[in-house]
Amino acid sequence: MTQADQPLRLRVASPADAADRAVLVRLADGELDALEELYDRYKTMAYSIAYRITNDSTLAEDVVQDAFLGVWRNAARYVEGRGSVKTWLLAIVHHRAIDAVRRRRPTTELPDVEVPPPAALTEPDVWMEVAAGLDADLVQRALAELSDVQREAIELAYFSGLTQQEIADRTATPLGTVKSRMRLGLLAMRRSLEAWAS
Amino acid sequence: MNGRDDVKTLTCDEVREMAGAFVLGALDPAEVAAVRAHLASCDDAHEEIAELGGVLPALAESVPVVEPSEGLKARIMAAAAADLEERTAGVATGGAMTTAPQPTPFPSVSERTERRARTSTGTWILRIAAVVAIVGLAGWNLLLQNQLNATEAYQRSIAAVIDVAAEPGSLTAILTPAEGTGSGLAAVGADGKVALAARDLEPTSGSTVYTTWAIGGDGVPLALGDFTVGSDGKGTFEAAAPALAAGTVIALTREPTPGMTAPTGPVVSQGVATSPA
Repeated sequence: MTQADQPLRLRVASPADAADRAVLVRLADGELDALEELYDRYKTMAYSIAYRITNDSTLAEDVVQDAFLGVWRNAARYVEGRGSVKTWLLAIVHHRAIDAVRRRRPTTELPDVEVPPPAALTEPDVWMEVAAGLDADLVQRALAELSDVQREAIELAYFSGLTQQEIADRTATPLGTVKSRMRLGLLAMRRSLEAWAS
Repeated sequence: MNGRDDVKTLTCDEVREMAGAFVLGALDPAEVAAVRAHLASCDDAHEEIAELGGVLPALAESVPVVEPSEGLKARIMAAAAADLEERTAGVATGGAMTTAPQPTPFPSVSERTERRARTSTGTWILRIAAVVAIVGLAGWNLLLQNQLNATEAYQRSIAAVIDVAAEPGSLTAILTPAEGTGSGLAAVGADGKVALAARDLEPTSGSTVYTTWAIGGDGVPLALGDFTVGSDGKGTFEAAAPALAAGTVIALTREPTPGMTAPTGPVVSQGVATSPA
């Protein structure tokens, strides 16, 4: 099923999305109040993700600060229709947190310059905007239903910032198998969440 | 190797196989470049990328909830205020610059991680102020010196606010205009020290001053002190005051003379002092 085939009933924009976009407009105009509003709304989630990845309160706060300042400076570049403001912000947090832990790990090859998150992180996917509003328990359940090796591969990549080659080395698994575990694991999560959402 | 000079060519099947790793950010830079190059030129829409990438917001929802420390909000707000200040200064001095306005010279996470184990907030903000000043000096001339001095003074006042805000038990207030313009930041330490930085205020002249008031639960304004505002519209203020409770309103009024014990003018700008959690 392609994205265009997704049921129309799921193609909704929450009031929070509209409010977030209004905040972005004010951010682009340089209104500090708007930044405060956005911070108050997403500080906990942003910090939780940063801390889960870095496991370091100082580094996590630096990451969150950079992310919010990145949004503050680049609010005008936000493209409506490429996912919610929340998804955009949290993708920035995730990307910067991973970048931070990789720099802390000297064996990982790093990009010469900070690159934006992969396009897929900000590509439109309306269904998952809805999924993002699912209860965290449901998401945990979807993760728990994965095989242990699929969950391990996804968590090592998303939360520990390991590359696929590093995961293969750490788990003594062929690289091709690691690729499959990540791909099939994500697909299985999506299918589970789709079923529960409907 | 950074992948820019020698981007590997991938087949559609190889990209599909790497899709999960790609959206999870588990590829090295050369592999990312190869996937991006393929996606940019391939006729196939590669919908698996969006399909798998769409799971990531759900993954983000799965993390245990942890609250950031007190003070992070104040640091972010101060950094944004400094950033805004630099933008304004860049516009004001743009005619004398020989190059386009520069990106905000904030150190990135990686730069800060490499530079220090932990820099104090005050030092960090002062470093920003120094960088801002250095950038400003690229277009330095005699006519601009007063503006630059004013900018530096304002940066220092923001640093003072942050120093107070970083103290345990401190309160911060984001001042917003009651009408028209006039916004700023104020911090109140547990020991009663007050620091304030405000901008976009109407300049004072003669004996006119801005007076800072603390309005507690009893609704009676307590004068904390006065300050003047120059042609740049910025005002700064530091004083010692009785310890204030959370919820106290910090307000600015424009008064005909210093030392007023009760406000005579309307509130220009105000904010509620809260714990910066």
